[in-house]
Amino acid sequence: MKPKNLKEEVLLFLGPPLTILAIFVAYPILGTITLSFLSRGSFTLENYRDVLFETIPLKALIVTNPGPHPPWGALIHNALWILIAVPVVVLLGMLLAYILRKTFGSSIILGIIFLGMVLPGVVSGLIIRFMFDEYIGMFPRIFALFNVPLLSKTWTIYPQSALFALILGSIWLWLGFSVTLYSAGLDSIPPSLIEAALIDGASEREIFIKIIVPQLKPVTIVVTLMTIMWILKIFDIVYVVTGGGPGGASTVLALIMYTYFASALEHNKAAAVAVILAVLTLVPAYWYIRMVLSGEKQ
Amino acid sequence: MSAPAKGRKYLYIAAAVIIIAIIGVALYYFLAPPPPPQKVKLVVIGPWSGDEAEYFKAVIDEYVKKHPNVEIEYRVMRAEDVASTVPVQFAAGTTPGDVIFGWAWFIAKMGREGHLVDLTNVINEKEYVPGIVDAVKADGKIWGAPFTMWLKPGFWYRKSFFERHGLTEPKSYSELVQLLEKIKGIPGIKNPMATGDGVGWPMSDITEHFIIAYGGTQMQLDLISGKTRFTDPSVRKVFSDYLVPLIEKGYFSEPIEWTTVIPKWWAGEYGLYFMGTWITGMVEDPNDLDFFPLPESKGVVGGADYAFVPKYSKNIDAAIDFIKYLATEGQGVHASVPSGKIPTWTKVPVDKLWKPMQSVYTKITQRGMAILPDLDDSVGGDWQRLFWDQLKLLWVNPGELDSVLRTLEASQPKPT
Repeated sequence: MKPKNLKEEVLLFLGPPLTILAIFVAYPILGTITLSFLSRGSFTLENYRDVLFETIPLKALIVTNPGPHPPWGALIHNALWILIAVPVVVLLGMLLAYILRKTFGSSIILGIIFLGMVLPGVVSGLIIRFMFDEYIGMFPRIFALFNVPLLSKTWTIYPQSALFALILGSIWLWLGFSVTLYSAGLDSIPPSLIEAALIDGASEREIFIKIIVPQLKPVTIVVTLMTIMWILKIFDIVYVVTGGGPGGASTVLALIMYTYFASALEHNKAAAVAVILAVLTLVPAYWYIRMVLSGEKQ
Repeated sequence: MSAPAKGRKYLYIAAAVIIIAIIGVALYYFLAPPPPPQKVKLVVIGPWSGDEAEYFKAVIDEYVKKHPNVEIEYRVMRAEDVASTVPVQFAAGTTPGDVIFGWAWFIAKMGREGHLVDLTNVINEKEYVPGIVDAVKADGKIWGAPFTMWLKPGFWYRKSFFERHGLTEPKSYSELVQLLEKIKGIPGIKNPMATGDGVGWPMSDITEHFIIAYGGTQMQLDLISGKTRFTDPSVRKVFSDYLVPLIEKGYFSEPIEWTTVIPKWWAGEYGLYFMGTWITGMVEDPNDLDFFPLPESKGVVGGADYAFVPKYSKNIDAAIDFIKYLATEGQGVHASVPSGKIPTWTKVPVDKLWKPMQSVYTKITQRGMAILPDLDDSVGGDWQRLFWDQLKLLWVNPGELDSVLRTLEASQPKPT
């Protein structure tokens, strides 16, 4: 084939998708970044300064005088969410996948766990509201049995517990993803490895810690990175369950972006929060892409 | 006949045929019935769904009956969604509807920015409840049309519940506390008063009622204008001496989604429920319903729903005609069905109102109560959400009163 024809073919095949990407992906991204630096007609960092030092509870990224319970600011809430939810999703996902593959009727349990993944965000939000309701919620009822008055109330309406209710709810939602990936990961471990360990006299616990966990390392990295990205973007369940309240005790970055955009009609500041959120999401996304690409090379 | 004569004869025939044809066409043009006018389709966007949408549909149906060439499609969109999505469409020169209902502050803002049709010549301000049009005025023009009005008159109760337990309406704050204490002692009662929740507005309605009753009608107006600040000792006193003690004593329930609490209150789990007049259309038996305002109150919050015509509408003339109907005769239709609303157009006779609303209206006018604008709806914007959220916090942590008032004051608009 002549080089000229090759060029034409490359243009023919890449042209349409590149045009679509330029219009629907590149342009909005560049537009948002530009908007975030625009204030009163000039390029400035004013929007970033304003959103970072905002003190109104429903819009604060960091609360300057934090108390013993939320609100602490959306950045801290997102960080806390990652700190609590990621280890639980990883550990619980791995354990459940390991235990359930040896259990009779595990597919039904897996199906229930996976339900959280397939439900629309608004529906999940409503279920979380019910889960933590004083009269019909599972969690307050359990704590009522153990006579813990603070946790026997509706969690989502108290600043002390609203954020934690959302975090626990999100763990249920995302656990299906974790369990599914770990189940697939477990299937890919060669049985000969476990058989050899058994012959050498390894206990079940030793097999799990010294063989299963290291063998599942690539899955663990994927689950960790994907969960972090998902938590950073989380919006729908917060919007439905608490709206960021009470008193800004459960705000998250995506909700703050929405508040600037839809409630305050401050589109430039909304763009600034969007850029901050995108930059934070890009860190795990970079590692994830790097891992996928290195896997492809191998 | 010679050839030229024969040719002339054909010419005459041809000329006659042409003349007859022209006359025929002309006669048809003048005598035939005019073709039916092309149907105009209007998209109307409003906040009502369920039963409330049915009551609004009655208004639309009445209009369409008189205007068969107009087809109206009703779409549901909450005021908060209108405020968040419509500005983006306006910026692109488009509109999702021809007649849209929205918050008054939003309408004034959009009008000021040049996105709306000027309705100054459509709305005759003198024909409306005094002050009701002010909310949609900006730069000396009227940008929105007032529709029917709701009132937030006080605490609703079931007459049968009060009769069964020998309860009476209070005549002072101390009698109110005694009443709440009596209700608390009734078996099956969870809390004497139910607190509605949603995005947060039901708690702001209760708070405003306390402000009007114990701070005065002027305090409500001054808080709206920003002249009185939330940290002012007189405002704090309303909260600390009247509202917060009731929250602390557990007389109010925890915030519960405002529609789901209605059957619970009706079933006797709660004795009283503070809500707007639309509650009359949401209970099983409106004849068993009555209300009392806080005894010291000299005013009630009332507010209209407002509609506007975006200048990007493709049927501006039809939209203006429809909005004029909504602002006048349409109000009579809406008030005659169980919508729980009263007209803002003063030309609708009281006997045209739905019966339960007639008694509500009479009770308020007999007490000589002023109708005041809604605080959070008037301020609007970002502050409105903050107000709702901070009150949610106050309801569960009444000890944080000073922090709540400081937060509200910090974002409260300054007087212009």
